[in-house]
Amino acid sequence: MDIVGFIVKLFLSPQVFAPIVFPGLLTALVVLLIIIWAERKIAARIQMRVGPLYVTRHLGGVLQMLADGTRYMFQEFIVPETADRIPFIVAPILALTLAILPFAFIPSAPGFSPISSPLTLPAVLAVISAIPISVLLMGWASNNKFSIQGAVREAFMSLGYEVPLFISAISMSILYGTMSLEEMVTKQFIPGLILNPIAAFTFLVSMIMSAGKLPFDIVEGEQEIVAGPYVEYTGIIFGIGMGLAYLKLYALSLIYTIIFLSGWEPLPKLLYDIYPGIAGIFLFVKAFLLMLFIVFLRSVYGRYRLDQALKIGWRVYFVLSIVSLILSLGLRVILNV
Amino acid sequence: MLSMSSEFVSSRLLFKEGDESTYELFIGPQHPASGHMRFIVRLKGDIIVSVDPDIGYVHRTMEKLAEGREAIKAIPLLERLTIIDSHNVTVALVTALERLLDAEPPPRALYLRTLLSEINRIASHLYGMGIAGIMLNHSTMFMWAFGDREVWIQLAEELTGARLTHTYSIPGGVRRDLPQGFKEKFEKAARYMEKRLQDYMKIFLLNPQIASRYEGVGILKKSEARRLSIVGPNLRASGVKYDARLADDYGAYKELEFEVPVREEGDCMARMLVRVEEIKQSLSIIRQVLEKMPSGPIFAEKYLKLLPPKTREQVLKTGHVKLPGIFASLKLPAGEAVARAEMGHGEIFYHIVSDGSTKPYRLRVVTPSFRNVVLFRYLPPGHRFMDFPAIYGSLDYFPPEADR
Amino acid sequence: MNGEKPSWLIEIVSKLSELGIRLDEAKNVLKMEVAPESLREAAKILIQYGYDHLASISGVDWSTKGTIEVIYFAESYEPEKRGTLIELKTATSRENPKLPSLVDLWPNALLLERETWEMFGVVFEGNPDLRRLLLPPDWSGPPPLRKDYRVVEEGIYVEYE
Repeated sequence: MDIVGFIVKLFLSPQVFAPIVFPGLLTALVVLLIIIWAERKIAARIQMRVGPLYVTRHLGGVLQMLADGTRYMFQEFIVPETADRIPFIVAPILALTLAILPFAFIPSAPGFSPISSPLTLPAVLAVISAIPISVLLMGWASNNKFSIQGAVREAFMSLGYEVPLFISAISMSILYGTMSLEEMVTKQFIPGLILNPIAAFTFLVSMIMSAGKLPFDIVEGEQEIVAGPYVEYTGIIFGIGMGLAYLKLYALSLIYTIIFLSGWEPLPKLLYDIYPGIAGIFLFVKAFLLMLFIVFLRSVYGRYRLDQALKIGWRVYFVLSIVSLILSLGLRVILNV
Repeated sequence: MLSMSSEFVSSRLLFKEGDESTYELFIGPQHPASGHMRFIVRLKGDIIVSVDPDIGYVHRTMEKLAEGREAIKAIPLLERLTIIDSHNVTVALVTALERLLDAEPPPRALYLRTLLSEINRIASHLYGMGIAGIMLNHSTMFMWAFGDREVWIQLAEELTGARLTHTYSIPGGVRRDLPQGFKEKFEKAARYMEKRLQDYMKIFLLNPQIASRYEGVGILKKSEARRLSIVGPNLRASGVKYDARLADDYGAYKELEFEVPVREEGDCMARMLVRVEEIKQSLSIIRQVLEKMPSGPIFAEKYLKLLPPKTREQVLKTGHVKLPGIFASLKLPAGEAVARAEMGHGEIFYHIVSDGSTKPYRLRVVTPSFRNVVLFRYLPPGHRFMDFPAIYGSLDYFPPEADR
Repeated sequence: MNGEKPSWLIEIVSKLSELGIRLDEAKNVLKMEVAPESLREAAKILIQYGYDHLASISGVDWSTKGTIEVIYFAESYEPEKRGTLIELKTATSRENPKLPSLVDLWPNALLLERETWEMFGVVFEGNPDLRRLLLPPDWSGPPPLRKDYRVVEEGIYVEYE
């Protein structure tokens, strides 16, 4: 039928399939469930414990986060009287929207990018760097001394990691000669990790700083400021706030895989012939393994002090990213790649 | 902003005029990392200007309660001061009562008291290290330390029958004898602990990230430590070699060889390293105790002969002491007695005044955490706000003990 | 004490006897009774000899005699002196208990004097910070550790005697 065929064609077009189904919104929610469970399970095994085991006993408690999310949905959403009402409600929704937007730019297979443009890399980085603004709004609207401290820390930290993140990404785009994420994969005859390891290292650490994982979980420092900007939120909005960091981590690790780990290579020809949208399976697997590694670091490190993290960001990683820029320029001239 | 009604006396320092650039935070009892107390922290930017510790949230009025109960009942009452370290709290009380009653415990009882004291000291230091770990959000150290405490609590259960509330010492001796097979179990536990201490060093104290949080933070100078009457590992990390086991005469410490670890730097890292060293020393003390344990009775002859003959035989055969009936209304001779002991947190001090009745007239106890409270006023000012949990964790402060 | 007395102990005893204080020795504790006026002098002498901090300040309420006795224990960390504690006993009247504060001589007396004030009602003149420590801030009853304070729970007196 005409209408049904139209809807199916619309659904399977890259502009709808990639941001919503894979590797976009739905996959992101599934990844969110599994990665939080994996973090708790890995940390528990290292710490001589069992971890979450109650919800689905036979599968090892995988659906624990689903149970938590369901519980959050039934909680009452309280807006404190002294809080600024409209920004209080709007800010987390804004944050969630900004956290989902990067998936509109990330391609999952050759020829299957939702927005085909020669400038997808700066666009996606710009969207990701707008998320701290909504966190600032959350902290200010709560009208609580602890959340303002958390918002101020978020402002400091975002200045600290944005510059090395951008410069490492730009140095790789200089090396490849293109700013489009799709073309970067085709230009990698050997993975970008080996071509420019300094940029890879700097981008990795800036990624950890941006997502707020240990040793840089300063914004939600529970021992000093009790969940920072998210402290006055209840119900599903609190769940969104906690999941926000993981969504940022997922988007950034997809970008990392595309730039440094040669994206979706090797492409499975069989799946690509059936439907190009599901051929990005290796992209997803590599990004997921990277996230598991970052989440494992929680069992090893404590938390850095704010001024120590800023010192590292500006004195060490900023300098290293400039060095990687020079390395890229040199490689470009020598190899003429 | 701060109008106080004039009926009740305020319990916190009032804001002065001109303090507007100071940012006041109440790290109150409803806070995941404040313990059972409140801190009123004043910040200028990120630098702490002053900290006012507001204690008294778990005040259980133990000194007043002890005045209304017979002397023997004070032992389980005061044991609940620091339940993680309970034998060290009661051994000082029992020594003071023995000095007042003029009763001498037999040598085997002294060795058994030393054994349980050292087991409790290891458990208390592990608790302190776990709390220090979670204050820096290092959850692995927290979980490992609390998991390894289980080993020592089970050893104490072998010896006394209870995991935490031992009530082991009584005036005249101890309540239970050493069970069979204790030495092998202890050797297994000691080997496990030595391996784990190396793990702790690798993941926590030698971790460069933790070292950057701890080194040079919260330095306590030697002269200040002496004047402010600081006790415990906090004092020994500032270069003062003082231990109540050397100062007062209780237990079997005069016949054992052990070292008191001392470090000179006085910062948070030194305090944690002193605790690790003390655990190793406690392991060596327990080994010596198990080797040199003399045989004999565990309860003083003076009280044993007050039991009926059948019960006396049963006591000597099984090693479980039954208290003679006179203990329920033991008359304390008029006078005073003073005793000190070394807990995991520091030195505890008892002073008993008696007027000849069965209940003590005044029981005064000064706990190590009460003496360490002044450090919250003197150490943090000048540091950054995120150093405050690091300093708190390294001091091993225990609120229920400070408030009594 | 076993055998001969160390020289610093003899000097302390002689200097304090000059102030007219009665001394006594038993089982590692040097006891003395001091009048409130000579308390600061005795403290200065003890600090000179290395007893630089207090172990405790406690009050004892002798309701039959009508006095509150305040007992100070001075302690030293030095190796020869740590086995001996020095006990200073003072007595003040029950109706109007006042004592000079020793905070400038022994700094750790700050919290100990606060506790004695709130539990017994003894006012230490010169203490810069005399406010509640362990009791709740809206406590309006008499000082609790006095013998005439009876605990009331749910409307009835709870007797311990």
